[in-house]
Amino acid sequence: MAQQRMALWAAEADIDEDVDLSLAIGDYGQNGQYEDAHIQPPQIDEATLIAMQQHMAQQAAFSQIPDVVKGFIVHFHQAVLDNNLAEITVAYESGWNKYTEKFYSRTEWPEAEIIAPLVNDDPIFLILYRELYYRHVYSRLQPNIDDRFHSYENSCELFNYLLNSDGPVQLELPEQWLWDIIDEFIYQFQVFCTWRSKVKSKTDDEVAMLAEGGPVWSSYSVLNVLYSLIQKSRINDYIVAQQEGKSPEQLAEIVGEYGQRPLYRMLGYFSIIGLLRVHVLLGDFTLALKVMDNVELNQKSPFTRVTACHVTTYYYVGFCYLMLRRYPDAIRTFVTVLNFIMRMRQYHTRSYQYDQISKTADRMYALFAVCNALSPSRLDDNITNISKERYGEQFAKMARGGEESLPAFEELFLYACPKFITANPPPYDDPVALEALISPPSPVESPTQSSPSSSTDPTHRHLSLFLADVAAQAPVPTLRSFLKLYTSLGAKKLANFLDADEEEMVQEMMMMKQVSKSISRIPGTDKGSLLDGQMITTSDLNFVIDENMVHIAESTVGRRYAGWFIKNTERTQRIFDDLKHMPLPQPPKNAAPTPTITGPSSTGGDTQPRAPRTGGQKVAWGGARVA
Amino acid sequence: MTSAWISPPTRTELIEDLVSGVDRYNPSNVSILEDYLYHQIRSEEYDCLANLAILKLYQFNPDLYNPDVVVNILIKAMTASPLPDFNLCISLLDERPSNANLDEPDPLPALLPTLKDLHSLLYRCRFPAFWQIYRSEDLESLRDNYTVECVGFENSVREVAVRAVKAAFTRISTERLGSYLNLTGPALDAYIQKLGWTADAASSVVSIPPNPDNQIEATVVQESISLPQLTKVISHAALKVYDIFQISRPSFDYGDLDITSTQPGKQPPFPKEPS
Repeated sequence: MAQQRMALWAAEADIDEDVDLSLAIGDYGQNGQYEDAHIQPPQIDEATLIAMQQHMAQQAAFSQIPDVVKGFIVHFHQAVLDNNLAEITVAYESGWNKYTEKFYSRTEWPEAEIIAPLVNDDPIFLILYRELYYRHVYSRLQPNIDDRFHSYENSCELFNYLLNSDGPVQLELPEQWLWDIIDEFIYQFQVFCTWRSKVKSKTDDEVAMLAEGGPVWSSYSVLNVLYSLIQKSRINDYIVAQQEGKSPEQLAEIVGEYGQRPLYRMLGYFSIIGLLRVHVLLGDFTLALKVMDNVELNQKSPFTRVTACHVTTYYYVGFCYLMLRRYPDAIRTFVTVLNFIMRMRQYHTRSYQYDQISKTADRMYALFAVCNALSPSRLDDNITNISKERYGEQFAKMARGGEESLPAFEELFLYACPKFITANPPPYDDPVALEALISPPSPVESPTQSSPSSSTDPTHRHLSLFLADVAAQAPVPTLRSFLKLYTSLGAKKLANFLDADEEEMVQEMMMMKQVSKSISRIPGTDKGSLLDGQMITTSDLNFVIDENMVHIAESTVGRRYAGWFIKNTERTQRIFDDLKHMPLPQPPKNAAPTPTITGPSSTGGDTQPRAPRTGGQKVAWGGARVA
Repeated sequence: MTSAWISPPTRTELIEDLVSGVDRYNPSNVSILEDYLYHQIRSEEYDCLANLAILKLYQFNPDLYNPDVVVNILIKAMTASPLPDFNLCISLLDERPSNANLDEPDPLPALLPTLKDLHSLLYRCRFPAFWQIYRSEDLESLRDNYTVECVGFENSVREVAVRAVKAAFTRISTERLGSYLNLTGPALDAYIQKLGWTADAASSVVSIPPNPDNQIEATVVQESISLPQLTKVISHAALKVYDIFQISRPSFDYGDLDITSTQPGKQPPFPKEPS
């Protein structure tokens, strides 16, 4: 354990190769198991029989594989060997899913050992194959503890190969797949942690394996992989240099032999997003935004090509802002990406990730509703309307404030928040402590905690923090509705209206003033750290207390015309373009050159653009001018 | 605005490296950060991100956990209100199953609800209630064991109150202000003077100098249209003009109706007159 930890901080941001190489080497010590599995070791006598049986079983399993699938695997392998990105993409995005639907919607794909003969035991392809194999198990089936451990080992094999080969590897993979590799790695980490934290449902075997699990899916090993990929690819240097407008030659020099290769560059970038996500899952919202320091959050970056990555980035950034009480920033983040998703929808409905993306979008509409209730904004009426359509009932409750609003906030938060995890496992290696955890010795020890399961659940910890913030704001909507009616009002009178103690009400007013301000990124700048910002006023209702008199001033937003005009100008242009693209009516053969035919019709020329302009246009236009 | 929070001027280079680099994960650096925390406590400095780095190390290495450090971090973070620092710290406190390794019983589980309550009172601007509870007998151990060590703790609570008052009031009665600051008589007068606020002894009302938050004005926000919003419209129109010049110079005035302008792959219905 200690040695494995060594690795992470041994590397500096500007690493030299030696240090970096040691990074992952010390980390992934469990290669043996994988090697055994497909390279038959020299057999001793007792093992021969078992090996024979295994061999026959494998042959039997092999013969079960449909021929088209065999053909697919051979073809897929060849595409990977050739680094043929187009072919790999087709096999990855369409072939795999097609045969999954057809043959493996309810069972595992054939194990890697069984298909190994098809691909000449190519270890790299087998690692990639297992990557897909386990991903399928996680998404369609119920992974058992062996799957969980082996998928970790396979991920390590893969990253080990990428990071610790002799120089950068020549492999090329589609960007989408590279993103999916990182995404899946973190997803499996997250489900493992969630599964691990449920102590009660574990069998004895599972407890034993977890006790000896060591670094398997430990937070340190996951962070280690992500940081290693970031450092190896020098992606942060790349982004900075690119923003400074360096030439391709300079860029190549800055990023080194790894960073020049798209595979490493993309993995490096995706690892930054991965870190953002892991830190959020662990509840570290500032660090999550800090790792994004160099990333420009806009839609022009080449990294936005992978839509799933783009959407994930904004979801987690927006959520961080929510937890930092920076609601205007959260709103702006969600609005940007929700608009993006809407525009992209037409291209993505057939994509296999569409489901995932639209689920995330739905959660962002929920978070948007939450933020908008806490800090009303008119940034984008369109998104606001969709959000109200979906969560109208909750939104109405949240916006009304008061105690009754809390269940609505809670409902949407639990629905839309990330799946938080605990960094450390329960004490599986300590039977006494474990026993104590399963059956607490006496309820006296924690009288405030109603149920042990909810108190150990990180989601509820974050929920209660969030709800405490919300509860503090709960009186605001009521106060606001009264203040809106006056330009000045005595504090005593207001307290009477509210049936409240005057002093307490004055303190509530201070709180109201406090929450009507927020730190926000300066609008219009994409640059700078995501944590940067300045204080802005978020409320249109402003007030000040002069001893015991409350003075109120309301800011109104002038009518907005621009959006309407722009939208309609664009629409008109579109209609006009469509008209232009329509085939012209075929003029009668003889009549064509005769100017007189079009003459009369183009008297209404302005309103009848479909009137064919004939060869005699001068006459026609002359007519129009007169008209 | 946030730059002092992200990186306080008092932060040393060594700490900056720890906070911003991967070295922050190295358990053997925890003592450096803990020393820095105690330095903050002694010299009225505050560095939220550095303290979060300690909690991060505790999160990953439960054996490093030191409850006194955690309590001190929370006490420091509390007075950063209304910034969310206190919540950010709590977010990193993973539930720990047992503390068998500690020599003494862990004081944190007992103190945590109290600290949360105190923070909540500060965040909700319930300053008189804060002082009442903070001064109560029940919290004697918190005062004697922790806040007394934290130099200027009470003053930093007062600063929270001052921030809130400054934003919401133009004038405030001395009595009310005193209840927020837990000060009376000469001590209160001295404090008001130090703030640079002016107290009118006759009416016992304190005037608060104008600042952006206590100056209110009814405004009408006009929309501002930025160029990127118009890109589509303008580029489309530019294309039009181009078309017109290329193809239908004679009919410039009615260019928009020029439906014969060539589209790729589409023949104009009639050959143009050679000109």
